[in-house]
Amino acid sequence: MSPSTSAGVPLVVEDVDVSRLRPVGRRPNIARYIANLWGRRHFIVADSRVRALSGERDTILGRFWLVGRPLLDGVTFFLIFGVLLNASRGIDNYIGFLLIGVFLFTWTSQSLTQGAASLNSGRNLIRGFAFPRASIPLALALREAIAMGPRLLTLVAMILVIPPHAQISWYWVLFPGVLVLQGMFNVGVVLYAARLVHAVPDLRLLLGFSSRLWMYGSGVMYSIDRFVEHPQALAVMQLNPAYCVLEISRDLLLYATLPEPRLWLTLAAWAAATPVLGFLYFWQGEEEYGRE
Amino acid sequence: MSELSSPVPRDGIPLGEPTVSVRRLSVHYRVASTELGATLTRRDRVRRRVGLPRTVTVRALDDVSFVARAGESIGVVGQNGSGKSTLLRIVAGLETPTSGEVLATSTPTFLSVNAALVPEVSGLQNIRLGLLAMGRSPAEVDELVPDVIKLAGIGNAVHRPMRSYSSGMGARLRFAIAAAARPEILLIDEALATGDAASKERSEKRMAEIRSTAGTIFLVSHAAQTIEEMCTRAIWLHDGELVLDGPAEETARSYRWWAWNVAKGEDDVAADVLEKCRARLRATLVRHEDPKQHIPRHSPAS
Repeated sequence: MSPSTSAGVPLVVEDVDVSRLRPVGRRPNIARYIANLWGRRHFIVADSRVRALSGERDTILGRFWLVGRPLLDGVTFFLIFGVLLNASRGIDNYIGFLLIGVFLFTWTSQSLTQGAASLNSGRNLIRGFAFPRASIPLALALREAIAMGPRLLTLVAMILVIPPHAQISWYWVLFPGVLVLQGMFNVGVVLYAARLVHAVPDLRLLLGFSSRLWMYGSGVMYSIDRFVEHPQALAVMQLNPAYCVLEISRDLLLYATLPEPRLWLTLAAWAAATPVLGFLYFWQGEEEYGRE
Repeated sequence: MSELSSPVPRDGIPLGEPTVSVRRLSVHYRVASTELGATLTRRDRVRRRVGLPRTVTVRALDDVSFVARAGESIGVVGQNGSGKSTLLRIVAGLETPTSGEVLATSTPTFLSVNAALVPEVSGLQNIRLGLLAMGRSPAEVDELVPDVIKLAGIGNAVHRPMRSYSSGMGARLRFAIAAAARPEILLIDEALATGDAASKERSEKRMAEIRSTAGTIFLVSHAAQTIEEMCTRAIWLHDGELVLDGPAEETARSYRWWAWNVAKGEDDVAADVLEKCRARLRATLVRHEDPKQHIPRHSPAS
């Protein structure tokens, strides 16, 4: 006798051999996920390239703005703090101090805000094709790293040209190391921001606020060591990875001193932990990103 | 095997192994509603007190089961809001059902109406990006691009930003990209309805090719005509429930007769059509069995 419904209508029984079938839309295990991601490496590169150019596409000067924008940023800060206010605040080479702070912090703050928007701006691709979703934030992190190229050249040119001129020293050799660590940390920031803002869209409205708070807490425009007197507060602020990046970079580029090992260690710890934890965190939400 | 889907369809592409198995799928949403009347639950009262809108449960899909096989093209018909697109999005793995499960041989490729991929860049760059997103290597992409351009048939527009495309051009390009990768399971949401006669013929040919290489195609449309022309089998959904599952011609015609009566205001006739079709539907009981396991989970049906 074949099964039937309560109304007595016989059922069509389909016995499906599931050995060839897999559930759809489930996130794969982490090893498989990484393998899939590696398979999409060309996509990640292509996507980062497409997005790097799309921001300037509608403008008349086009690609010039990749260099033009950081140049104008630098000139603005030079005019206001160097010429107008002439505010050294007791810091040697305050203009250099300020430029390094602004240019390097921009990389991390851009990673935060753009990372938060990445799943939204990539939603057409996400809805259209099946690929590991981490491709989208990773492409963004790559794009931000590439965009740092022209910014860094501008920065170096400016601190060498604007008096008091920074002197090229052997300490500069260590500077790429700081950039690598900051880049690794930023990858984690992008991944965290992407999932957090996708899960709680309200956080997007808090981003401007939190990145400003982060900026003031990182000593972009003033020296934390001089202004913060509370020792515990200072200790906490010195754990901030962005603060470490700026301090180390200034020591190397401007003051020709070897940065404290404590700063290196703090930054290295952040650079190692953030991308790994951020990746795991993003992977756990893999099934959510296609939803509307 | 369902007797409703004939083993050899009219165009002679034989049916193969199951590619998609949908078992007791239900999707319920809670959405905000300004609807008045019905009694307020405790939850509603609490929400109202803190200023949140009252919510109602929408059954987008209710206990839907079917099995799709290689070589089939399955049309999904139903009026707006009947759950067609929800069904496709779940089969695509883009949404998680409230209950039930969907198994598939590979991750389905989903084509939806919002066709612009990256609007700022050219159609050509979108082709490359799409193919890479589907996991093709750059060498394969170089090889496939001319094929995609030909199938899309949008001429020189392929070099223009995708944002300048009409919705029909965008949809054709999307179809061409998805079809170029010869997906095993292709889900199309209203995408082909916008094509002109020539592009429709090219699309139909490509769909037949996909099916003949053991592929399965799902096509959602509220135009029964399209389903009748392009599909071998059709599923009719009404308010999230399965009304009919059978040969495309039969299902599409029943649906059209029903929709015609609804449009004419003949609600009694329409209700009668719906009732008769529901009575004709033989519900499918899907049982998942893995022969590699020693103890079968179900005893075989006699």
